[in-house]
Amino acid sequence: MRMESKQKKQNTTLQQRNYQQLQQKHEIKRPVLKNCIKAFFVGGLICFIGQAVSYFYIYFFNFTEQSVGNPTVATMVFFSMLLTGFGVYDRIGQFGGAGSAVPVTGFGNAVISAAIEHRTEGFVLGVGGNMFKLAGSVILFGVFSAFVVALVKTLLVIWGVL
Amino acid sequence: MLKGHQSWVFANRPMISATGVTGGPFEANGKLANDFDLLYEDLWMGKESYEKAHRLLLEEAIKMALKKGEVQKEQVQFLFAGDLINQITPTSFAARTMQIPYFGLFGACSTSMEGLALSSFVVNYQGAKYVLTGASSHNAAVEKQFRYPTEYGGQKPPTAQWTITGAGVALVQPNEPEKLHPVTTSATIGKVIDMGLTDPFNMGGAMAPAAADTIMAHFRDLKLDPSHYDLIVTGDLGRVGHDTAFELLNKSGLKMERKQFQDCGLLMYKDDQPVQSGGSGAGCSATVLYGHLLNQMKKGTYQRMLVVATGALLSPLSFQQSESIPCIAHAVAIEMNGEKG
Amino acid sequence: MRARYRLILFTCVFFLAACSHNQPAKDSQLALMKTTNPKPVVTDKSKNRNRIEEIKKEVSSFPQIYDVAVVKGKKDTLVAYKVKHLHRFSMKKIEKNLTKMLEEKYPKEKFTVSSDYKIFLETIRLDERMKSPKFSHREAEKRFKEIVKMTEATK
Repeated sequence: MRMESKQKKQNTTLQQRNYQQLQQKHEIKRPVLKNCIKAFFVGGLICFIGQAVSYFYIYFFNFTEQSVGNPTVATMVFFSMLLTGFGVYDRIGQFGGAGSAVPVTGFGNAVISAAIEHRTEGFVLGVGGNMFKLAGSVILFGVFSAFVVALVKTLLVIWGVL
Repeated sequence: MLKGHQSWVFANRPMISATGVTGGPFEANGKLANDFDLLYEDLWMGKESYEKAHRLLLEEAIKMALKKGEVQKEQVQFLFAGDLINQITPTSFAARTMQIPYFGLFGACSTSMEGLALSSFVVNYQGAKYVLTGASSHNAAVEKQFRYPTEYGGQKPPTAQWTITGAGVALVQPNEPEKLHPVTTSATIGKVIDMGLTDPFNMGGAMAPAAADTIMAHFRDLKLDPSHYDLIVTGDLGRVGHDTAFELLNKSGLKMERKQFQDCGLLMYKDDQPVQSGGSGAGCSATVLYGHLLNQMKKGTYQRMLVVATGALLSPLSFQQSESIPCIAHAVAIEMNGEKG
Repeated sequence: MRARYRLILFTCVFFLAACSHNQPAKDSQLALMKTTNPKPVVTDKSKNRNRIEEIKKEVSSFPQIYDVAVVKGKKDTLVAYKVKHLHRFSMKKIEKNLTKMLEEKYPKEKFTVSSDYKIFLETIRLDERMKSPKFSHREAEKRFKEIVKMTEATK
């Protein structure tokens, strides 16, 4: 990233650089601290709800703390699907930022919003083809990094380090 | 008539005899709701897709302009229009419905003034009796095209802008001196300016130098100074771009007052609407000019104004390939009929 | 806008009301939120209670642990405990140390150790059910075995 921006700077002319400096002055900065605080509370609230859901499953169903993860995640994704469908989640997202994007609800939102968006293009090419437009890379790199970590661990075990 | 390097002067002063302006629900809550002819209550507008709704916006705006101008669509020679969607299909499909000979334009958000300049030129030289020109955009359709899905909960930075839902269409015809209507007197066609900005969430900042360049070219070509106009209004620079353009112009020696320099994107919405830096989109300058600004002009608030619509000529593909954002701006000067400039 | 606020208010009130509805809260209802400190449970009357009390005391002496439930069945002994929040990162280590300590001190017993909330909750529920005369010792032993089996799944 750093390399890239350096390269870009070299490719720009003096006039462009001067303008970019002038433009920076007027650019409204992201209120980072405020966003962080909001993200903390929104993310915390979502996790609190998730905790409540997992306690619900522990109390009323035969799930242990270990196995309660799956139904909880499914329920949270279901909630975020409902909120996305009612057009509320994008507002929460604008307010909460990372707080609503990082938990699994954000992942559900990415999938379902793409599905809604492309529904007019038909179910196969529209919904099917575009559903993972945003979330697809999360899945790909998630699975890939899991593979790499597993590989490293296996090798370490074979070499007797672990 | 060509004047200077890149400007036209319309000696016959083509007249904007009628306009049609349609908008969506978000605009209905905005500051300029009263200046719309037709406002839809929801984004779907009773259609199955946003693209169809987009088409409907333009069709209704055209019908409205024809009705107000008391002209049948068969009498209209040409339609100059465009939008932001893939291959400008909403406009082309609307042209299919209307059956008016059609020039499809793409100048991103500068399409409105590109169209008005061209139609004025055609009318000025007796190329046509009636010409329709306009531009439209639909928030959800454009967001889908350029950004994330509508319902995606990503956080937009404060420099982002809100694509407006709306269409503005004007009927341009030869001047009839006894009628009190706005007329176009000159136009300046801009060149593509690229200052190397790459952030698609900061279009205002990318477009500001294009606007400044075109405004400077206009005053240079026509040998005027800013005090000639009551109002210089930019298309959709938003808060960031508008401030930047103002500073650029002041630095270059074009002195103007803040009140005299406005932006359509900032005029459109109320402060409490979540539009970050202001409105944008091809329909932004079209609806504000053909609705609010021309109404104000007829009331006598403004005598002469210069409208500078700016466009960011990027595509989703180009910014993903980390190309910078090239921008363009076109200016058209509008006066009230009977004024001698 | 108004309607939305009213809806939110309504849901809040609804949920709060639902929570406070059953007044005489049983221990098991809040077992996950507060320290319950239950008495050790013995499913078999013939067994010696004192030793179980002792085990509970031993386990409670761990500084990282704050709530302990012990159940003694015919063969197995189940130790369920809660780890203090700040020590939850070292849960595996605590479990190892605890098992080692128990096995050294009581080599004759067969221990099942779990820090899972669910296991803790079930031991308390078992205790509550055993208070009712309808619940026989055989049934208790059966339920106990189920809980032990469930513990294996959490490993």
